[in-house]
Amino acid sequence: MTDWNAMSDADFRKEVRGFFEAEYPEELRNLPHRPKFAEIEHWHRKLHAKGWVAPAWPAEYGGMGLNAAKLLIFYEEQQRWGVNRGRDMGVQMVGPLVIKFGTQEQKDYWLPRILSCEDIWCQGYSEPGAGSDLANLRTRAETDGDDFVINGQKIWTTMAHDATHIFMLVRTDQATPKKQQGISFLLAPMDQPGVEVRTITTLSGETEFCEVFFDDARTPRANLVGELNKGWTMAKALLSFERIFIGAPNLAQNALGQLESFARGRGAFEDPVFRDRFAQAALDVEDHAALYSRFADQLKRGETLGADVSMLKIWVTECFQRITELMIEAAGPDGGTVGPLQVGNVNVDVLASFYKARPTTIYGGSNEIQRNILSKAVLGLPG
Amino acid sequence: MLRESARTLFERAGGSGRSRKLRDAGGGWDAGMIREMAEAGIFGVTVPEENGGLGMGLAAGGVIAEEVGRVIAPEPVVVTVGLSLGLLRRLCPDHAMMEQLVEGATVLAVAWQERGPNGGPAEPSCRYADGKLTGSKGWVAGAGGARGFLVVAEGDAGPVLVLAEAGADGLSVEERRQADGSAMGELSFSGTPAGELASGGAVRAALAEAVNDATALAAAELVGLSERAFEITLDYIKTREQFDKPIGSFQVIQHRAVDLNVMCEVAQSGVREALGLMDRETDPKARARLASRAKARAVTAAKKITRDAIQLHGAVGYTDEFEIALYLNRALVLSAWLGDDAYHRRLWFEAREEEGAAQ
Repeated sequence: MTDWNAMSDADFRKEVRGFFEAEYPEELRNLPHRPKFAEIEHWHRKLHAKGWVAPAWPAEYGGMGLNAAKLLIFYEEQQRWGVNRGRDMGVQMVGPLVIKFGTQEQKDYWLPRILSCEDIWCQGYSEPGAGSDLANLRTRAETDGDDFVINGQKIWTTMAHDATHIFMLVRTDQATPKKQQGISFLLAPMDQPGVEVRTITTLSGETEFCEVFFDDARTPRANLVGELNKGWTMAKALLSFERIFIGAPNLAQNALGQLESFARGRGAFEDPVFRDRFAQAALDVEDHAALYSRFADQLKRGETLGADVSMLKIWVTECFQRITELMIEAAGPDGGTVGPLQVGNVNVDVLASFYKARPTTIYGGSNEIQRNILSKAVLGLPG
Repeated sequence: MLRESARTLFERAGGSGRSRKLRDAGGGWDAGMIREMAEAGIFGVTVPEENGGLGMGLAAGGVIAEEVGRVIAPEPVVVTVGLSLGLLRRLCPDHAMMEQLVEGATVLAVAWQERGPNGGPAEPSCRYADGKLTGSKGWVAGAGGARGFLVVAEGDAGPVLVLAEAGADGLSVEERRQADGSAMGELSFSGTPAGELASGGAVRAALAEAVNDATALAAAELVGLSERAFEITLDYIKTREQFDKPIGSFQVIQHRAVDLNVMCEVAQSGVREALGLMDRETDPKARARLASRAKARAVTAAKKITRDAIQLHGAVGYTDEFEIALYLNRALVLSAWLGDDAYHRRLWFEAREEEGAAQ
């Protein structure tokens, strides 16, 4: 077992970069869509054989056991080479949940199946009436013998049509004084008569998101993770690392690189107005990266991040959107054209980038919710 | 350590209230304060230890400049640390003036820009020959209280750096009043005697580097100014009540406050990073690009924060009585001096293109 944390940052980066560059299939680099598992299965097998499926998990559960500093390097290299994250809901969410709150039986059963992708997970949080106000969720689970019986509906469930299991927040007590109480974490199989999945076509024509309907669906009571009615607190505890990850500079940096090569090819830099707006965007990305390093250094020193980390997400997602809007401007009369636009020897899919940037200010806690959090938890504003 | 001692020094002296009094008294600075600042090592922060300084880098200078900005102190820190000492320590580090500047015994203003017929910047034409200056210089910060002027002029064999005493023959100083009560000097020389300190290509190179340093330090000063302006505004919206509630309880106010806070933090991180990188960078072009990055960011942030701060204060924000007005006025001056954000984005982009083409 390699102790990655004992390596120098530079050596570790070299090791990770070397593996991605040598082994990652060229045709999967910078995939513009979320792949189904079958499309990336050959890559997943390699990663599994290498033992690199779960960089953040402790080594005793089959992870790499990386500390925060090494983890950031791993993700930076992954994004640098355009390595697809794969179907990582199990690794990113279910694993940490089970490791932190699960029983020994749950760990022994679920964790190896996540690593091998025998089970492919989707996340059942949002509902039609529970988006930003997630605690308003109504999907309920009632005990019936050794099972829970689930009724209700989830929505915006990413890739549910290509998942074998769902981890979900459900209401297990209807009569609590606060709506944050009475919520539990359940794991449930998708392949059963009571579960129906319908894909949602997004405005870009993709079908990554789904609605999932539960009509007397069943899951064993053994699939309750953690204490009954304590799911809300657990869900919050799971978000700590995600909060810096969602504010990482990479999406905006990659888009800026695309914008630059596209704009250069199209001669957009001849326009002084465009030049200034490009410079503004580029400096927005550079200075965001400086702020990101400040938070990353905090993590590296072993400190816990405060609520102020939310500012990374606000800044970088809005910056990402402006960059993709500039791409459309640079495309001129081709700004409404679907598919890659060829400029010299590069292909840039201007619309795909634009679409990709839109939901970033909505998901992971909309930017308005992030502003609410900052105003109360950081600025101490009343009400 | 440096930050705490500078902050304590300025707070003990009266914070922004002291700056207001100086403005009301005619817009100069306080010679006693300059000596105290010198004792704390402020002016010599980037001067090598063998020349009586602290021997620290620009990043340390930035820490001090941020503190100056927080209390909008009128004393010429950027002028001295960035410009006058920036020139002297590069061109004539053993000159007696070095010590006097570091000790706060004197202040020298630096004159290098010139005004063209349309009022905008122009190519230099001010001449130095036979020990005398003829021509004019514009935008000389600190001209009002300076004991003398370091003038970059055109000599018979290229650029020269000369020292002219304040009050020398044939020197007239027109003071143009600035929004913050300070004065920007317009100098004209007709056969003004001046002593040569250095000449040749080194003068041009040292001037470019001194301007880079001053630009970066002015950016740091704007960061400190923006932070304090935001704090003042945050306090105000927490206490001002309308509709029986603090106005800071309204979501529209909260979200604006968050945006200013984020802008402030991005500016602080970006500017600090740029100054730190300038300390490790030796290529003047790369240093210029970093200085432009810093000033572009700092000006964008300071403009946004001080202007929105007035709006969040409501009608009292438009009065001279409230502290926030001083911050807006100081930000106007610091933004325009040494180039605003649009100007520095242009320089930054051009430098980036040049580097790209060279690779």
